[in-house]
Amino acid sequence: MPPHRSAPSTAFIDPSRIDAILASAVPDAEDRAFVVRCILGEGPAHHRGVNYVLLRLLGLLVDRLGGADMAALRERGTMPVPMKVPPHLERQGSLMTYPLALPIAPLSELAPAATPEQSAMVECLSDGPPQHALANAAMVWLIGAALDRIGERPPASARTSTRPRTKSSAPPKR
Amino acid sequence: MTQADVELPAGLDQAFGAVAGELGQATSSWLFVRAVARCAGDRAVEGLADTAGPQFVVLDAVARGWLAGVREQVVDPRPVLEAIGSATRLVVVGVEATFLDALVARINPAVKIAMIAHSPFAVDWDRVLDNYGGRVERVDLDTFQHWAGGKSALLTFAYGQNDSRTIVAPLWLRACGADVRAQFRALVGWNVLEAPMNLYPRWLVEVDVDSFTHFVPGT
Repeated sequence: MPPHRSAPSTAFIDPSRIDAILASAVPDAEDRAFVVRCILGEGPAHHRGVNYVLLRLLGLLVDRLGGADMAALRERGTMPVPMKVPPHLERQGSLMTYPLALPIAPLSELAPAATPEQSAMVECLSDGPPQHALANAAMVWLIGAALDRIGERPPASARTSTRPRTKSSAPPKR
Repeated sequence: MTQADVELPAGLDQAFGAVAGELGQATSSWLFVRAVARCAGDRAVEGLADTAGPQFVVLDAVARGWLAGVREQVVDPRPVLEAIGSATRLVVVGVEATFLDALVARINPAVKIAMIAHSPFAVDWDRVLDNYGGRVERVDLDTFQHWAGGKSALLTFAYGQNDSRTIVAPLWLRACGADVRAQFRALVGWNVLEAPMNLYPRWLVEVDVDSFTHFVPGT
């Protein structure tokens, strides 16, 4: 039998931090509270901890790049994250979805829109239990925002360095 | 003072079981305690608690509260309406007629309401739901997830709070599993008992208050 292992502590989780990060992706406070609970409050402890750490890090990345423009990301299209209920319990004519959708623009960096490849990516990201599917969607929002910020910046060769200029050293002799 | 001092009709505990299924334990307790007090006085209320209390702990709590001076049942649906927020579907787990009546009277008419028709008591569900004139629909334990969604709320009634713990009907645990928790935006507990129970919560179960997204305390 595997050795007994207790669940890791998740005392470091501060849901208000993730709530703030997702504020512009899910503007309605009640909707956002539901999403944050699914990401941080439900499922195994290690998943909840991982979700928190990765979203915080991505949030920091976006902040340091100048902040997120979620509206711009939303305008380029989203796909719903379906709520998984047994097929016989689905409501006909009413899509049961979570209030956090999956932005498509970042995925278009990897596969053209409306292709089977991109559809498969969407399916992989939005499948599984909500603590996975919603965390995936939240991360794609932040990655998309970061990519947008990086895309706005001039290429490295065109940027003026703020570092002190030094004489280039000669290449090492062989 | 003991029950020997007071003559209570035989079979009151059986009668209580019959009523509790359709009205709820707290609602029925207040009904019985008021009736017994009116007809036979506070001594008889103590006798009722001694006789039926061990089987029906909510009745015991209400009767003991009555004897301690709690003579009014506080029914304020406003905090529950706040907890439900902008949900458009509400599934009620368990019955407490007095509280549900007050909630249904105040809730936005656009909100669809359902009740899970499941109880450890024998219940005529058609009769229970007829009281709401079609406003409350019937759902079953194995199909209520049909009502799940990002704008759906799940509500149950709680019986007292002791620090971080509260008491609910076992049906709440049957309904609110790990899958369902992530399918309803709000998981609301409405405490309908003014004071914590003194007895072991027979036929009921203890849960963490934190397991609800919103816990509406009693007075």
